[in-house]
Amino acid sequence: MSQLLQQLINGLSIGSVYALMAVGYSLVYSIMNFSNFAHGGVIMLGAYFGYYYLTSVGLPFPIAFIASALTTCVLAVIIERGAYKPLRERKAPFLYFIISAMGTSIFLENIVIATIGPTFRTYPEVLSRTPIQLGSVSIGRLDLAMFIISAICLALLVFFIDHTKMGKAIQATAYNIKASALMGINTDLVIIVVFALGGFFAGIAGVLFGMKYTVYPQIGVITNKSFIAAVFGGLGSLPGAVIGSILLGVIETITSGYLSSQYRDLIAFVLLIAVLVFRPRGLMGKVTEDKA
Amino acid sequence: MFKKTLALLLVSLMIVTLALSGCSKPATETGSQAGGADASAGDVIKVGWMGSLTGDQAVWGQCELDTIKMLFEEINAKGGVLGGKKLEVIGYDTKGDPQEAVNVAKRLTGQDKVVAILGPNASGSAIPIAPVLEEAKVPDIATVATNPKVTVLDGKVKPYNFRVCFIDPYQGAVAAGYGYDVLGFRKAAILYDVADDYSQGLTEFFEEFFTTKGGTIVAKEAFKFGDVDFRPQLSKIKDANPEVLFLPVFFKEAALIANQARELGITAPLMGGDGLPSEQLFTMAKDAVQGTYIVNHVDYDDPEVQDLKSRYKNKYGKELELNGYLAHDAVVLLVDAIERAGSADSVKITEALETADVKGVTGRIKIGKDTHNPEGKEAAIVKIEGDKYVFQQKYSAKLD
Repeated sequence: MSQLLQQLINGLSIGSVYALMAVGYSLVYSIMNFSNFAHGGVIMLGAYFGYYYLTSVGLPFPIAFIASALTTCVLAVIIERGAYKPLRERKAPFLYFIISAMGTSIFLENIVIATIGPTFRTYPEVLSRTPIQLGSVSIGRLDLAMFIISAICLALLVFFIDHTKMGKAIQATAYNIKASALMGINTDLVIIVVFALGGFFAGIAGVLFGMKYTVYPQIGVITNKSFIAAVFGGLGSLPGAVIGSILLGVIETITSGYLSSQYRDLIAFVLLIAVLVFRPRGLMGKVTEDKA
Repeated sequence: MFKKTLALLLVSLMIVTLALSGCSKPATETGSQAGGADASAGDVIKVGWMGSLTGDQAVWGQCELDTIKMLFEEINAKGGVLGGKKLEVIGYDTKGDPQEAVNVAKRLTGQDKVVAILGPNASGSAIPIAPVLEEAKVPDIATVATNPKVTVLDGKVKPYNFRVCFIDPYQGAVAAGYGYDVLGFRKAAILYDVADDYSQGLTEFFEEFFTTKGGTIVAKEAFKFGDVDFRPQLSKIKDANPEVLFLPVFFKEAALIANQARELGITAPLMGGDGLPSEQLFTMAKDAVQGTYIVNHVDYDDPEVQDLKSRYKNKYGKELELNGYLAHDAVVLLVDAIERAGSADSVKITEALETADVKGVTGRIKIGKDTHNPEGKEAAIVKIEGDKYVFQQKYSAKLD
């Protein structure tokens, strides 16, 4: 029983990191209908910025945290301007966006390898590693912090989308970008805001990830999992991204805990395929035909 | 127009970066190129090196290459080999990728015409290069590639593969024997990398020896290379309540596992092979790895290694990693073989290697003709205390 509880907590904490990463994919997808694979690269840069703000610049943790989120926020917008806007203006097919996104992601990974170096780096210890004991179950302080930070960020995001004018504009653009433009919504600005939001979350996710594990140029590989979680929950849907991520985290831990860790990815992804076969739009996705 | 130019610029920048980091470029070239294309003629003997200069194991690869560069400079300064010929190392990055290792081996033998290759450190990269070596008739001395298949496949020795380290069965057997006989452990858990030859080899032989002796493996859990979260497996291991947790993995995973195990409240000591020792282990998980037992190739406090350690530190300002010691011994073995062969001909060097018996810093290296392994090499058991690897004892296990 205590093992089940422990595994659930493990799953929740892994899932909450997936969730922070997954909302970035979902936000962009909801507006532009393509999967922004450069997101993984931005998360990786977020982890590196956080590391350097903490060690080389010597900022206190909360400031370094916000600073790296803001930096990746700007970076995400620059990527949009450089890699996607020219394509948008030329009304390029969606496939080109995806290829451009993959290119950017490989570019970011390799520029880090070429400039900073390929070896991983370790964050200084910000939170004590001694876990909080609740009976026989132990919860890492960092996991708790991650869970709370993710929850706050996601709550703020939902509030922003539902209760601000810009949020309404995002919803309208997500529904139909051409009609929204005709109604006088500045869709170009909406796109910038969406990328900025995605970038901000990428920074937060990157720093949290770097603190928990390590920082290395191939972090993007892990973010593939969060992309899959986003598809699982329904690309384009924020609650879907969160639920998909948490579910994936829990399924993974339960599989490795009770069956075998070797079956973890196998079972998680068979389930994913099953969901997509029977419910192609994911658990909570909006209904569209042209998915890429 | 401006936007087009900008886009073009960005694209070309991407291509350049990709080209720079994507291709393995020669990492170093010491000495002059006076020898020309033919390696056996002229004053320069070209020796190849391959290993990881990118990825998790880059720390080790860089250290190997630096050590070899340093030793070659020293040898050249003293007059070189074969009465005046200079040694030159040509190093390429394998990125820890077996496919890339094969490409590098082809490039070293075909294009650079090296007389011998040193490295790689990873078994996964050392195993697939054999056909290339056999075709080019160029010997390779692996540094820390401990998988049996590196030199022997299906009971037959590979003619051009040699190594200076002991092998996985031996490491696994030493860990099991020392854990059971000396430390008195009876219940062990294993957490290993299912996608890695090294990890699987150690696991197999640890399990075999530990159970033959009478111990039980209470939990055997796996993960896959690239994983960073091990709590699901560790929660299960915690439930099995082992007396020792055997980690046949590399230091990055070991550090993450150690931290997460302690977070979950696992207090059992850890035990591992030669993949563990690294300065990085302490930066990442100093508190969590206290009391860990390691089967290692070398005792860092051995008076005989101090000279090499300080020469390296003076030159590069860094601590010598484990790989440096074995790279040193690979150089010693090669230089001895070249001198005894009396020529820089790669086939003659191979013949000389088969009968080599030299003394390296990691122990006596007497190459077995049927195995191409250094035979009867003792392992050093070290224990982590504070930020030191404290030597416990030399230990040798009997296989069979």
